[in-house]
Amino acid sequence: MPYKILDKKELAMNEVWYKIHAPHVARKVRPGQFVVVRAFPNGERIPLTPVTWDREEGWITLITFVRGKTTMRMANELKPGDELLNVAGPLGNPAPMKKFGKILAIGLITGMVEVFPIARAWQEIGNEVTTLHVTPNPMVILREEFENAVSRHIVEGFDLQPGWGMNEIAQELVKRAVAKVKELLESEHWDLVFIVGPAGGQKAVFNVVKEYGIPMEADLHPIMVDATGMCGVCRVTVGGEVKFACIDGPGFDAYKVDWDELIHRTGFYAPLERLALEHYLKTLQAQGGEQ
Amino acid sequence: MAVRRKLIKERVPTPERPPKERVKDFKEVNLGYTFELAVKEAERCLQCPYEYAPCIKGCPVHINIPGFISKLVEYRDNPDKAVREALRIIWNDNTLPAVTGRVCPQEDQCEGACVVGKVGDAVDIGKLERFVADYARKNGIEEELLCEFEEECTGELGKVAIVGAGPAGLTCAGELAKMGYKVTIFEALHKPGGVLAYGIPEFRLPKEILDHELAKLNRLGVEIKTDHVVGRTVTIEELLQEYDAVFIGTGAGTPKLLNIPGILLGRIYSANEFLTRVNLMKAYEFPEYDTPIAIGKKTIVIGAGNTAMDAARSALRLGSEVTIAYRRGREDMTARIEEIKHAEEEGVQFEFFLQPVEFIGDENGRVKAVKFERMRPLEERDKRGKRKIVGTGEYVTLEADTVIIAIGLEPNRIITETPGLKTNPNGTLVVDENLMTSIPGVFAGGDAIRGEATVILAMGDGKKAAKAICDYIEKKRAKANA
Repeated sequence: MPYKILDKKELAMNEVWYKIHAPHVARKVRPGQFVVVRAFPNGERIPLTPVTWDREEGWITLITFVRGKTTMRMANELKPGDELLNVAGPLGNPAPMKKFGKILAIGLITGMVEVFPIARAWQEIGNEVTTLHVTPNPMVILREEFENAVSRHIVEGFDLQPGWGMNEIAQELVKRAVAKVKELLESEHWDLVFIVGPAGGQKAVFNVVKEYGIPMEADLHPIMVDATGMCGVCRVTVGGEVKFACIDGPGFDAYKVDWDELIHRTGFYAPLERLALEHYLKTLQAQGGEQ
Repeated sequence: MAVRRKLIKERVPTPERPPKERVKDFKEVNLGYTFELAVKEAERCLQCPYEYAPCIKGCPVHINIPGFISKLVEYRDNPDKAVREALRIIWNDNTLPAVTGRVCPQEDQCEGACVVGKVGDAVDIGKLERFVADYARKNGIEEELLCEFEEECTGELGKVAIVGAGPAGLTCAGELAKMGYKVTIFEALHKPGGVLAYGIPEFRLPKEILDHELAKLNRLGVEIKTDHVVGRTVTIEELLQEYDAVFIGTGAGTPKLLNIPGILLGRIYSANEFLTRVNLMKAYEFPEYDTPIAIGKKTIVIGAGNTAMDAARSALRLGSEVTIAYRRGREDMTARIEEIKHAEEEGVQFEFFLQPVEFIGDENGRVKAVKFERMRPLEERDKRGKRKIVGTGEYVTLEADTVIIAIGLEPNRIITETPGLKTNPNGTLVVDENLMTSIPGVFAGGDAIRGEATVILAMGDGKKAAKAICDYIEKKRAKANA
C-alpha cells in the first residue's frame, strides 16, 4: 500500500507536518480518531492523529513532535514524494459530538495537534470553544488555524532557558498550565474541560479542575503496538476496570482515570527509547564521517 | 496400489538442531526430512483405501494423505516427479502445506487417527507434508504447478471480500480463487498471516516460508489490503455493497488478562503483546529494529498451551530464565507434545498446580514476584475432559522480573460491534450449518466462531465456507436470472 508523502514542512522547532495520501483513512476518519504509522522496513508502529483531511482528495495531515528515534528518522529521511509503508486506521473511538456549552480545550505542546479536529468540530456543532495551548514559545503551532476555528485561542508560551532538559521543560509546562487553567476557571463558567498532553501534565491540570467540579475528558496516550485491541499494552484503569485505550478510548472521563498508574506505564521503555535514539545518532555520525 | 507392506513400528526421526545451539537464535529447530528419509518414512504408510483412511478423516481439510504419500514411494527414483505429483494432490485440499506441516497438532488430527499409531508410531504425516512443500519450493516445482493452477483462477465468477488474513481467511481466499472468484482480503496489521505472522515464532515457522506461501496466493489472483481495520476503515455493510459475499476470519485476538491485583505493573505482558513485539516487530533485533522489548532475568509464563510454550521459548532466547506456571497438572497441558518436549530440552522449568492470585511490584512499579495459591486436582472432570481443581489455601511466592500471561484469547470486539451481527455470550459469532452469520451473504469461520482453537480447524472452516459462499452466490444469481 503506497501512502505517498504529498508535502512536508517544519512548522516550528521539532514540529514536522506531513500531508499523506491515505484515502482509506480520509474517507472515514472522525475527530478523536487516530492512525498507526510504520515508516521504515525495520521500523516500529507509532500512533499519530490526523489533524485535517480531505475526503474527496484522499489525504490526511499529521504533525509529529521529534522526540525519539522514529520521529527523528522520519524528519531527517522522508521527503515529499516518498512513501510511508503503512498507515492503518482510522482507529479508536470518535470524540463525543454533543452540545456541552462552554468548553475549555487544552493542549500541552504537541497535544494541541489532537485538540484541533475535536475543538473545531465542537465549535461547528454550536459549542463555545476556548482553546489553550501551553508550550515552549519556539514550538507554537497552528495558531492561525485555531483562531479561525474556535471562539477564542489562548497561547501560554514560555521561553526555553539555556541548559534546560526535558525535566525542566516538563516542570515549567505543568507550572504554566496549572496557573493559567486556575485563572480561567476562577474568572469564567465552564461546562467541560478537555485535555491532551503528557500524562503528568494531564494529571496536574485534572487536580485543579477537580476542585471546581467541572466535567473533564482526557485523551490518553499509553504505549501502543497494534492499536486494534489485540495486545493490551495500552491498558489503563478507568473507574476501577481495565480498559484498552486503543478500542475503548482514547477519550476517557478524567475523574475515573488512575493517573499515577498511567504515568508509570508510559515511562516503561524510557531507557530503551534513549538507547534507540543514541544508536540512531551514532549511525548518523558514522554516515557523516564517511562523506 | 495393492502392495502388501510390512508394518514398521518406529518412525524415521527428523534431524533437529541441538538445544544448546538453538536457544541462542530464532532459527528453525526441526530441520525436516531429506528425500531419502522421507521415502523411508513414506514406506511405513499402509495405504488404507481413500474411502476408509482414518488419517483423511482426522485431517480437518481432508487431504488425500495416502495418495500423496504413495507418490513419494512410487517415484522414488525421480524426486522431482515424486514431489510434483504429491504436491498436486495436497494442493487440491490445502494451499498452505509448508505451514500446516509445521504447526498442526498432528497427534490430535491425522496422526492421531493413523492405524500404524495403534501398534507403534503413527506415520509422520506432518513432516512428510512439510517435506513435499519445502522441496517443491526450493526446487522450482511449485512454480510449475502454480502456472497450472493460475489458469483456473479466472476471477470471473464473482467478487468476495475476506476480513482477516489469518489461516481461515487465507484458506478461504485460496479455495475461492481456485474456483474462479476474485478475492480481496482486508487485514488490519501491516503484514498478512494473522497468528502465523505475529504469534508463531520463527523457530517453529520461519517467516520466509510464510512470505512465500502468501506470495503464492497473490499469484492465484488474491489481493491483500493491509492497514484496513474492518469495522473502522470500512464496514461490513459497505463491503456487502461492493462484493457478492463476505467471509469473516478475524480470529480471537483479544488477550484474556488475569483479574487480580497488580495486573498493570511493568513487565507484565499478554502473550500477544510479547509475541507481537518479538515475531512481527522483530524486537529481538533491537536496536537494528526499532521496536523495543523489556525483559528481565527471571520470567514466569502463566498458562500451558501452545502460546505459553512459544512465549516461554522466545523469552529463553532473549536470555531470560523461564518458568511455566500452570494451575493444573502435567497431563492437562494443552500444548503440542513436540513443543513441550522442545521447551524442556531447552531448559524451560515447569511448576504445576499453581494459580496466580497477586502480582507484587517493586518501588519502580515493576513486577518483582508472583503470589500463587497451590491447587489440588479432583477426580471430577470439566466439559473439556480436564480434571477440576480446588485451592488448598496454601500460598507460594515466586520471584520474577517479567511475567507473560498466556491464559487464552477471546474474539476482538471491533468486528462484533457490526449492527445485525449476532454473537454468542462469549463473543464468538453465531453461524448456521453453512457457516453463514445472522447477516445473509456474510460467512465466518476459525477462532471468530470457535473461540481460541487451532490453525488447521480455522483452515477447515475457511475451506467449508468457500464452498458455501460459492453455493450462495450461484443461488443468488439463479434467482436474479429467473
